[in-house]
Amino acid sequence: MTLAQKGRWITLVALVCLAAVYVRALAFTPVERLQGPAQKIYYLHVPAAIWTETAMILVGLASIFYLFLKDARLDRFAAASAEVGTVFATIVLTTGPIWGKPIWGTWWTWDARLTSTLLLFFLYVGYLLVRGAVRDPGLRARYAAVLGICGMCLVPFIHLSVYLFRTLHPQPIVLKPSPPSLPGSMLATLLLSFGVFTLLYVGFVTQRYALSLMPDAHGGGSPSHV
Amino acid sequence: MSDVPHNAGYMVAAYVVTAMILVAYAVSLYRRSNKS
Repeated sequence: MTLAQKGRWITLVALVCLAAVYVRALAFTPVERLQGPAQKIYYLHVPAAIWTETAMILVGLASIFYLFLKDARLDRFAAASAEVGTVFATIVLTTGPIWGKPIWGTWWTWDARLTSTLLLFFLYVGYLLVRGAVRDPGLRARYAAVLGICGMCLVPFIHLSVYLFRTLHPQPIVLKPSPPSLPGSMLATLLLSFGVFTLLYVGFVTQRYALSLMPDAHGGGSPSHV
Repeated sequence: MSDVPHNAGYMVAAYVVTAMILVAYAVSLYRRSNKS
């Protein structure tokens, strides 16, 4: 079985599991009394947000190691992780406002968490644009690595922004020093969804990495840097 | 239960949008892989 086929299978299993998460979240998880059904957006928004940030941390780490080791596999992995991170960031930036409208009464507000997340999305897009614009593989990898490291430095600020500034965005109720402040059934749904998003990340990155190994994946150039 | 907000439409919209984004990306990877 090739790497691309493995990635496809993992993605397929993850999408089937995502359907199970939908059923559990929509039919078998209680409705929160104050926020109503819109609170259930949380089960998609939070895992997507965690993987948006984790994907960028992995891009940054792979980029640092690439600059020292010049191993093309690290650059390929960073490119794959950045593309998948962009997809997850898109989910975060669409589900967030859809939740915000009924709960806050507005689709968007320029508070620290939302603005820094939007900046992370632009960094992802910039990263992909740089990779598409620079033809020389070595230069492309170096320029992209610098952007990847900048993105990684932004992630702790995004996570801590709700503590550092007065924001509308809720504070973490799971990723915090004290135990999660969430009822058991809701926490189980959230953890299940997080597991499925993890599987989706692995499946997508495996497929995207395999794609970069194909000789004509980038205008017939070398498969070593895509 | 009568004071629970009626905002299920937003929930459905978010779940549909998420599914569309994920499936579209999975299809995009599959098509790019076949093309290469």
